[in-house]
Amino acid sequence: MSAEISRGDPLLRVTSLVKDFPGLRALDDVSLEVRGGEVVAVLGHNGSGKSTLVKVLAGRYAADGGTVELPASDGEEAAELHFIHQDLALVGALTAVENLNLIGSARLRPHDSRAERRRAVELVSRFGDAFDVTVPVASLTPGQRAIVAIARALDGWTHPRNVLVLDEPTESLHGAEVEVLFSAVRRLAVDGAGVMFISHRLDEVFALADRVVVLRDGRVVAAEPVDGLDHDRLVELITGATSAQIEAHQPQDVRSTDPVLSVRGLRGGAIEHLDLDLHPGEVVGVAGVLGSGREAVPSLLFGAVRSQAGSFTVDGAVVLAPTPATSIRRNVAFVPGDRARHGSTAQMSARENLTLPQMRTVLGAGGAINTRRERTEAERRLAAYDVRPHRTEQRFGLFSGGNQQKIVLARWLRDDPLVLLLDEPTQGVDIGAKTTIYEAVGQAAANGTAVLVSSSDTKELLRLCDRVLVLRDGRLAAELAGATLTEHRLLVEGYGLTPDHPESQNQGPS
Amino acid sequence: MNLRALSFRNISAVYIFVVMFVVFSIWIPDRFLQIGVWRSILDAEALTGLAALAALIPLVTGSLNLAIGAQVGFTAILSAWLLAKAGLPILVQLPLVLVVGALIGWVTAVVITRLRVEPIVATLAMSSILLAGMAWVSGSQQILDLGPSYRTLATTQWAGVTVPVYILFAVALVSWYVLERTPVGRRMYASGFNPDSARLAGVGVARIQTGALMAGGAIAALAGALLTSRLNAGDPTVGPSFLLPALTAVFLGSTQFRGGRFNVWGTLVAMYVLAVGIKGLQLGGSPRWVNDLFYGVALILAVALSQWETRGRMLWRGRRRSGEPEQPAEAEPKVTTPAGHS
Repeated sequence: MSAEISRGDPLLRVTSLVKDFPGLRALDDVSLEVRGGEVVAVLGHNGSGKSTLVKVLAGRYAADGGTVELPASDGEEAAELHFIHQDLALVGALTAVENLNLIGSARLRPHDSRAERRRAVELVSRFGDAFDVTVPVASLTPGQRAIVAIARALDGWTHPRNVLVLDEPTESLHGAEVEVLFSAVRRLAVDGAGVMFISHRLDEVFALADRVVVLRDGRVVAAEPVDGLDHDRLVELITGATSAQIEAHQPQDVRSTDPVLSVRGLRGGAIEHLDLDLHPGEVVGVAGVLGSGREAVPSLLFGAVRSQAGSFTVDGAVVLAPTPATSIRRNVAFVPGDRARHGSTAQMSARENLTLPQMRTVLGAGGAINTRRERTEAERRLAAYDVRPHRTEQRFGLFSGGNQQKIVLARWLRDDPLVLLLDEPTQGVDIGAKTTIYEAVGQAAANGTAVLVSSSDTKELLRLCDRVLVLRDGRLAAELAGATLTEHRLLVEGYGLTPDHPESQNQGPS
Repeated sequence: MNLRALSFRNISAVYIFVVMFVVFSIWIPDRFLQIGVWRSILDAEALTGLAALAALIPLVTGSLNLAIGAQVGFTAILSAWLLAKAGLPILVQLPLVLVVGALIGWVTAVVITRLRVEPIVATLAMSSILLAGMAWVSGSQQILDLGPSYRTLATTQWAGVTVPVYILFAVALVSWYVLERTPVGRRMYASGFNPDSARLAGVGVARIQTGALMAGGAIAALAGALLTSRLNAGDPTVGPSFLLPALTAVFLGSTQFRGGRFNVWGTLVAMYVLAVGIKGLQLGGSPRWVNDLFYGVALILAVALSQWETRGRMLWRGRRRSGEPEQPAEAEPKVTTPAGHS
């Protein structure tokens, strides 16, 4: 993508936008433009104002100053703004077909369900393999749900010069799906649309954006073409400080010790067959594309999803297939990928969330909870993981995503677990919180916890893991460690590409 | 005690009580400001209070129980039948009624947790079944001749206050302690708020819900036994009328003290405030149908208030959080019940 493409006229012009919350200016004199044919990435920490910006554009918040214009140029219609929100705005109980027909279907004439279904399959299959469009979207995978949302946003796309706002659309997507989405977005841009792209993932910014707008504390601190930037410089702009280079992980081989958790012939979810050993003090990654079974591994090991087969050995003892309760008793901890649905109770305070799995240490006389002891412990935990604001009594749901994840991690690291199972530990988390989480995981491993990380983020796996198991079609495709553990090999093994044709692995047509 | 604890949002029922007290005291001072009136409110509402606690405990774990009225009614008839027809002594009859109450809760729990029927549907069906059982046992007639001593259970007074009031406060105290001070209570709330995440935190959600429904069933049976004692007869028509006041008290109670959480003291305060309102209206000469109107309107206001409560609190907290202006990641409050119970 050269800067040449951004010759187009501005389709969206934001001028001196101000949004105040009492005691805080969330957007402070924010100006930016999105031109036809360009992809503008908006970057920033949690709390930098980017979500507020999206909400002002979407009309959920009224601005306190400044303007948002969609200038109509020479006789053309003004552009429309289309959004793909972070939560996708799908109706979980309705099928993909029904979700796709939600907009503009407020008519009372009978619908042709067969034609609708055909069209839905057509729409979603543009983004990869078709899936069952007649089941409720709540039962689809996150990736499939995102595809439905994206298909819907692009479905009403009649005017080629519209503006599409993507608010962290790739959080739940896996490598191949991200690429499919990106090629769709690039196609739109080539046709003259403007795209505004909000993301945490710097790689994606480099892969997709023409220009980068960085927000910090509600102000625009940089608006530059992506060509002149590198990874370190972007991190610097986002954090406002020269960040220490994220140090590469020093892998260690601890496999001389006995494993604390082993499983043979594991089957369940998308997993067909898997043997696995986790040794104290090591960090094992699980990689794989959507459908590989990667995301099922921690749930099966913890018992969140009941395995259909497999023999488990925990700490030297042969045990039955685990359930959450038995796993917790054996000091196996699990941080689920879907924090809001599975990892936490939004209505309860940080303190209550922290102690829920294990309240033994906060009990006082008569089996009652000693609130003072509980609060002290919660305070110590919040401080140790740098949770902000440092309020044990604040409701969990009111913390930002990164801080929520820190609390969930703090909950499970309370007891120096034997095994720590992590599913997408930094999904939807800003860079600052990410660093804290990585340090906590490293610290846990140093204390002798066996850690398993299932992640779609290859950089994360490289940063954290001593070895990585790459899954494909529910089975182990490769185990990478030491010199073989590279981003390139992860991709090659994940997609099942022959190493002779590395050029086919990424970089869509551009 | 800070300002927030005294804010209207936190203790609105207390302020409403003060307003009603002033209004009725000025309007009908000679009838309203009588110690007898207050004693009779305390006594009359004790059974409603037990029914409300019986509804509250399962509701904390996520089961809205629409069968509470029928449970009270059925166990009331059962109490009378065991005494008058089966001729059992009170010391056998009373424990038996409580066990049957707990069993009703257990059956409801099996329907909800094993057969996976939504609580609202399961309890509605249970309600119908219990009403049928009630008509069958009683032949739709009052059961009389309970013997001379049973009546004293509900009518004996200590220090001018009847026994059911003491029972209510004893049950409330135990319920409060379990719900708010023990790990079991914490797990009950966790199960109600988010059963999926509670399960992954090692909570036996089905077991917790079963226990809550059984405890609620036993408390409802206690209310039923006391009802029969008070009436000195098994009356098949009275029980179902406990449902609305009980649920109204629970929902209005959730807006008090604990910021959107169902809780014991909020429930009792709300119930007595509503009772004072009704009593005042009755003394002022309102017709009896005002009762139903009052509870209906109060239930709507209670749930609406609890919605406003959750939302309002979010905004209020949101403004105070200086570091993070972005929208909290909390889901929108659900429509039917406060604090995201579903």
